[in-house]
Amino acid sequence: MSSRTNARGQQQPIRQTNPRDPSGNISKHLKVLEDAGIVERKVEGRVHQFKLRRKALEQVGRWIARHQAFWEGAVNQLDRLLAEGASDDRG
Amino acid sequence: MIEDEPCAEIRRRLAYAPEKVFTAFAKAELVTRWLTPSPEIKVTVLQFDFREGGSYRFAYQVPESATVIVAGSYSVIRPPSKIVFSWVIEPPDEHAGIQSEVTVTITPEGSGSALVIRHQKFGRADAIERHAAGWRGATEQLTELLEQEGQHGR
Repeated sequence: MSSRTNARGQQQPIRQTNPRDPSGNISKHLKVLEDAGIVERKVEGRVHQFKLRRKALEQVGRWIARHQAFWEGAVNQLDRLLAEGASDDRG
Repeated sequence: MIEDEPCAEIRRRLAYAPEKVFTAFAKAELVTRWLTPSPEIKVTVLQFDFREGGSYRFAYQVPESATVIVAGSYSVIRPPSKIVFSWVIEPPDEHAGIQSEVTVTITPEGSGSALVIRHQKFGRADAIERHAAGWRGATEQLTELLEQEGQHGR
């Protein structure tokens, strides 16, 4: 996703005033990704280059996967516990 | 959902009234019986003060691995429908120090409940990297130390 522009400008850079992004949605999403530390922005004049921080993305992915698995497992256990009538005796 | 912070989310229908589901979160003796990803991983409640502003601390005994300690405090307790608490894993752990928050929502559904657990991570992605790097250093030092100790013991 790194959109580098070489000296001849052969690659299309993403600009803030990109005619392909008249609503500004792409810019907005890139800002979110930047704030989250997932992409890195480099500004050269009017050209904004973005580079994917793959390692950061993988780390976030691992955090989410770990906690998703944690709660899925825990809710299974909760279901089992409730089936045993464990919280019936609280009055 | 690009606007959202990264999060894990579980939705489950349970055949029990919201009060019963809520109680499972509210009592330490019940928490120890379910709040773990699998029966092999035993959870011990080290601290449990189930009220707004109160803190908890759980120890997870992962077989053949280090014990993982999770701590946090309750910011919202609204029986029997809502519980919000912070969640931080203590070092040493890959995800130690990362601020996150769990929102539990329990709503009546038919004769049972709909349970939603939303676990949201805060902070920048590279904060994890920085943490991981820091603790990797510490872990290496510890390993080195233990290896030295091991050699002395032989």
